[in-house]
Amino acid sequence: MVTRKQKRNNWILTIVLLIASLFFLFPVIWMLANSFKPDAAITADMNSLRAFVPPILNGSFLENYITVLTNTNFIRYMCNTLFYAAVLIVLGVVVNGLAGYALAKIKFPFRERWLMIIMLLMIVPMETIITIHFLIVAKLGLLNTVLGYILPMIVNPFNIFLFRQVFVSLPDDVYEAAQLDRCGPLKYFFTMVLPMSKSVVATVSVFTFLNVWNDYLWPSLVFTSGDLLSAQIGLNAITSNDNTTTGQTLAVITMVTIPVIIIYSFFSKQIVEGVISTGSKEG
Amino acid sequence: MSYVELKNICKKYKGNDKNSVTDFNLEIEEKEFIAFVGPSGCGKSTTLRMIAGFEDITSGDLLIGGSRMNETAPADRGISMVFQNYALYPHMTVEKNISYGLKNMKVPSAEIQRKVDWAVEILGLEEYRYRKPKNLSGGQRQRVALGRAIVKNQKLFLMDEPLSNLDTKLRVSMRNEISKLHRSLGSTTIYVTHDQVEAMTMADRIVIMKDGVVQQVGKPMELYEHPINKFVAGFIGSPQMNFYDVKVDGEGIVFSDGKKMKLPDAVKGKLQGYDHVVMGIRGEDIKLDSSNMEVYAECRQKAVIDNTEIMGNENNLYFQFGGITSVARVSKYEVSQVGDEIDFVFMPHKMHFFDAKTELAITADV
Ligand SMILES: Nc1ncnc2c1ncn2[C@@H]1O[C@H](COP(=O)(O)OP(=O)(O)O)[C@@H](O)[C@H]1O
Ligand SMILES: [Mg+2]
Repeated sequence: MVTRKQKRNNWILTIVLLIASLFFLFPVIWMLANSFKPDAAITADMNSLRAFVPPILNGSFLENYITVLTNTNFIRYMCNTLFYAAVLIVLGVVVNGLAGYALAKIKFPFRERWLMIIMLLMIVPMETIITIHFLIVAKLGLLNTVLGYILPMIVNPFNIFLFRQVFVSLPDDVYEAAQLDRCGPLKYFFTMVLPMSKSVVATVSVFTFLNVWNDYLWPSLVFTSGDLLSAQIGLNAITSNDNTTTGQTLAVITMVTIPVIIIYSFFSKQIVEGVISTGSKEG
Repeated sequence: MSYVELKNICKKYKGNDKNSVTDFNLEIEEKEFIAFVGPSGCGKSTTLRMIAGFEDITSGDLLIGGSRMNETAPADRGISMVFQNYALYPHMTVEKNISYGLKNMKVPSAEIQRKVDWAVEILGLEEYRYRKPKNLSGGQRQRVALGRAIVKNQKLFLMDEPLSNLDTKLRVSMRNEISKLHRSLGSTTIYVTHDQVEAMTMADRIVIMKDGVVQQVGKPMELYEHPINKFVAGFIGSPQMNFYDVKVDGEGIVFSDGKKMKLPDAVKGKLQGYDHVVMGIRGEDIKLDSSNMEVYAECRQKAVIDNTEIMGNENNLYFQFGGITSVARVSKYEVSQVGDEIDFVFMPHKMHFFDAKTELAITADV
């Protein structure tokens, strides 16, 4: 039972948290509001509350966006990134999922050692090995190719571990029943294991998406051609161009930020679950 | 020729220092309903899983339909299995669960439809057809698992404690349903249970196991009437058989509390050459009624009831006798209360005798 007092406390808490979150949202709101303004309007008033209010949405409020989208390849960069993310989500789920499944359910020599090694790899930061990745990709002649960008991004020890934790608790008898139903191991993985573990698949997908979307260092090393750039690199290229106005810069940043905000608001449950990574409960 | 043959089957799990199943021998006829029964950990599931192919056979031969199956994949052994925890596919509807195997076997879809309709109908799952397992009760889930097993037309059914997650009432009705299914389908069935009542009521023959070793194989009443050792005698039947450590003297037997009981010559004859045995008698063979009291007058004893279990149709009376708490099972018309002194007789020809050391039954012809 929720008592009246609890109800009141909930209200107070909600209001406090709303105010706190508003505080964190200020930069975002400022960015959004000013992305609709011409530069003159932005610089006219930067330190009153008015700076946080979007202009009247008259005919020209999308000016910055339209200019950016027509004068630059930004749409292309966004599409590139979406494509990379999609490919990496699929490959990441398959590869890391299979690895996690093997570590959870298949008996092979030194299984526990392998798991240990993979867990240890989780503490190696990407930045420390990125030169090695770069050298290997360069040696393979894959610089400035999609493949060169994607290959080193597929395997992710954290995701393997996440999958493993969830798969460990899948019941063995379902696999046995499936065997009697003539469902082979690979078919079992794709048609049973993944659908039974929807929430970890969602978690890994969301993480992969955010990872790809926010990544700057690796794509900046691999990609040199304008056609393949990811959104973040494209963003940098556009904003560092002298012809780009402040309002246009804010419009580009807004467009890069929006998918992240959407993802966070729709999948916050998965993200929290992934961070806690208990992985033991699965509906 | 028998349909399933287990020859000297042994199982030792990696890392264990003892066998989980030792020298298991059994021949199962076609259409037979066999129950493996025994206390938890005695190796029933292990044996069943070796037959299914989910565990390697350490040594020995498994024959199904005359061919050796030790190395055959589970799917190629012609078996269906029902698991204790249902093992349904959680993301599929009832109908999909049942039809999944048939789809993989490339059965034509009209045929699949017909079979699923048939299974859903006889298992009473019509209204749950499009539900997912998580929205079903335990009994309904197990029926889906049964449906999944029966549509595949396999000749051998394996069931591992299929009813042990259900409540008592449901267990009884499912017991009947499974028996009926077996009768109408005629598939050979191996049914694992730790519940001797299930084994007794359902099986054509029972295999009773202890510590990985088969103790006795036989029809339910054979095991009940002629248990081969003290373990079988104690495991089969409820309430448990009363066991007394007794000395043998010229007249009959002497209980550990000093009470003596004369035995007829025929019974005494069995005990020749023994001076110390275990005597076992079932609760229903301890009689309180006057006619039996007259017939077996020389076995007559007295005791005070210290507990009763009133079941309605019959009652269990507990009393101290012969050094143990004994139980007599009497009809509901023989009313007694705690504190009553009762006269009773043991029916001498219903007594079972076991060697005190080996615990093997002592039979007349030994
Ligand atoms: N996977 C396993 N690994 C090691 N030992 C096992 C395994 N499964 C069962 N055992 C052992 O084998 C024995 C028989 O187990 P089981 O066949 O499950 O018994 P039951 O089904 O009769 O209760 C037990 O002592 C159990 O500990
Ligand atoms: Mg078992």
